Amino acid sequence: MSVWKFLVRRAIFMMLTFVIITAVLYGVLMLAPVEARATLYLPRTDYGVSYTMLRGIIEDHGLDDPYPVQYVRWLGKLLRGDWGWSPALRDDVLTALLRRTPVTAELTLWSVLVFIPFGILSGAMAAWQRGRTSDHGFRLLAFIGTSIPPFILGLMLLAIFYVGLRWFPVGRLTLSSELLVKSAEFRTITGLLVVDGLLNGRPDITLDALRHLVLPVFTLSLAHWATLGRVTRAAMLEEIHKDYISTARGKGLSWRQALWRHALRNAMLPALNSAALSAASLVTGVFVVEVIFALPGVSAPLSISTRTASTLIPDITTTMGFSVYGILLVLPLMFILDVLQMLIDPRLREEVLL
Amino acid sequence: MRRLRHFFAIRLNWVALIIVILFVAVALAAPWLAPPNDPTQPTSYRYVEGITQVPPLPPGPGVPLGTVAYLMDTPDGRELLHFDIYHSLIWGTRAVLRFGLLTALAAALLGTFVGAISGYVGSMLHFVLMRITDAFLAFPVIAGVWLFHVLMQTTNLMLFDYNSLVPIKIPATFFQQLVLGLGLDPVMLTLILFSWMGYARLTNARIASLRNAEYVEAAIVMGQRPLRIIFRHILPNAIAPAIVLLARDVGGMVVLQTAFAFIGVCGTVNSTAIPEWSRVLMMGRNWIIGQNGNPFQYWWLYLPVTVALILFGIGWNLLGDGLNLTLNPHEMTHKHFDQ
Repeated sequence: MSVWKFLVRRAIFMMLTFVIITAVLYGVLMLAPVEARATLYLPRTDYGVSYTMLRGIIEDHGLDDPYPVQYVRWLGKLLRGDWGWSPALRDDVLTALLRRTPVTAELTLWSVLVFIPFGILSGAMAAWQRGRTSDHGFRLLAFIGTSIPPFILGLMLLAIFYVGLRWFPVGRLTLSSELLVKSAEFRTITGLLVVDGLLNGRPDITLDALRHLVLPVFTLSLAHWATLGRVTRAAMLEEIHKDYISTARGKGLSWRQALWRHALRNAMLPALNSAALSAASLVTGVFVVEVIFALPGVSAPLSISTRTASTLIPDITTTMGFSVYGILLVLPLMFILDVLQMLIDPRLREEVLL
Repeated sequence: MRRLRHFFAIRLNWVALIIVILFVAVALAAPWLAPPNDPTQPTSYRYVEGITQVPPLPPGPGVPLGTVAYLMDTPDGRELLHFDIYHSLIWGTRAVLRFGLLTALAAALLGTFVGAISGYVGSMLHFVLMRITDAFLAFPVIAGVWLFHVLMQTTNLMLFDYNSLVPIKIPATFFQQLVLGLGLDPVMLTLILFSWMGYARLTNARIASLRNAEYVEAAIVMGQRPLRIIFRHILPNAIAPAIVLLARDVGGMVVLQTAFAFIGVCGTVNSTAIPEWSRVLMMGRNWIIGQNGNPFQYWWLYLPVTVALILFGIGWNLLGDGLNLTLNPHEMTHKHFDQ
């Protein structure tokens, strides 16, 4: 039952992580005037925010209390699902974020599904073919991939494939498909258009959604693919020189079998670990890419609140909601990659707490 | 010396050094490469006077890389001003180098400190510090940049009350006064706060393995204080991976900052803390796609800055790779494969 113990331990660590980082966030917020913090507790209102109103909130919610008390109160509010109301969005923050989740989830999911298998496979291939042309080609591509900043890559791809060749459009769907998806006869099941299109028996919707995903997913995956490929390649080269490979060869396995069956399994551990560590930067990339490719994802509330927030009342509610949401997007990614590592390496299941 | 020779034996390291030195040289020679209008008060931007047209000016005499027009808030109200891109590109190297070096160095110091303490002291403190490090690793930095941005917006909080037309001014907090007073860049603060974890993990792992080395035990037996042992005896031997990461981060931080500035989470063009390269990209953002969707009509708005940015990133990245092979002897065994 050590698998369960592993899962429970990881889950506890995740919760600990969540508590620590939200405590840091609230601590950062303590650096702002207390009136700014009071906007977190604004009631649903279509009228302006007045000074008296904020003072009342400060009184009611004890925002002059010591930091730990305030933090715990805010955390309780979060956990109850009350993420506050944003005057700039004119919406409940959690609702606004959840409504746009499928777009972000789809982009993240496809990028992970593209870059992790490709990264590990191409890195292993390069190590296997080391010194030959394909290895040099891989290293050149990986170098380019890590050198071009994703937002510049996105712009270049937009200029060439959207504006120039008109192959791949921006946004999430073309207008005709979008109208169909919004109509009554299309049932939204998962929210992921690629899956929903198939479930509704409309492969044309799936194709259309895929066509819109090509550029963002490529932009997002390239840098992560390159990093992951490099890590895998280095790890593979290290494994190749170890004794167990000689043993495997000695017992009669071919070079190819020894490599793909034994070395790759071990080389995948540092690779998956590096992917887990860069999960947060992947999510940051997702938000950047959403803005560049005009995808109506979770970063949209941010841009909306920039445009509409008055300079008098900064939109702290949306900002904090977005930050917490970002963490909640990273944690499952890390969890899945951790579990994958455990499945590959039985030793991790036996590991003690420290 | 042997390591230095080893470093220079690889041709790619020369490329890296030349690129980095080139940027430093341009930054130093900025007053000569791009003379400001008023040499006694050099500014990092230059306006081209007397142009009223809205589209950007193409490269021509006086403006080697053209201009970008932008409605700026000036003391005389809003004005359409044409910025000399070449001037910003040259003077921007200073801002970019300062931003990259300061951010990466501060993050490295913070992370190395945390890693050193947790690696040496061990047990409970180690557990706590490493959990904190892991927690920071789960946070997407873009949200932090946005949070600090909104936080600094509240310095001039003016609130209205019922029945009153006079706004109530909320005084800035101590932190906000500190940031404004010292002229700190909120984006830089955020990047430091959310990117020290790599250094902490590296240093922690190295120190935990060095802790039981014989020379450290000798120092303990001699009765030296723990902090002295960490800083005099262990850190110098554990610092190599951190230096490699530092070199790579200098470019990485600048690229990250430019990306955030470009998508608009670092504030407006008017804020002075934004390096000139990002500012040129921000001002030219709406012109990138020209008439009939021709992306090359206004190429000077983004191409020079983009190329400079990519070169900057490549230079520091290659330098990091080179240092990695030279400083980390463990990796040297694979040098034939990796270079």
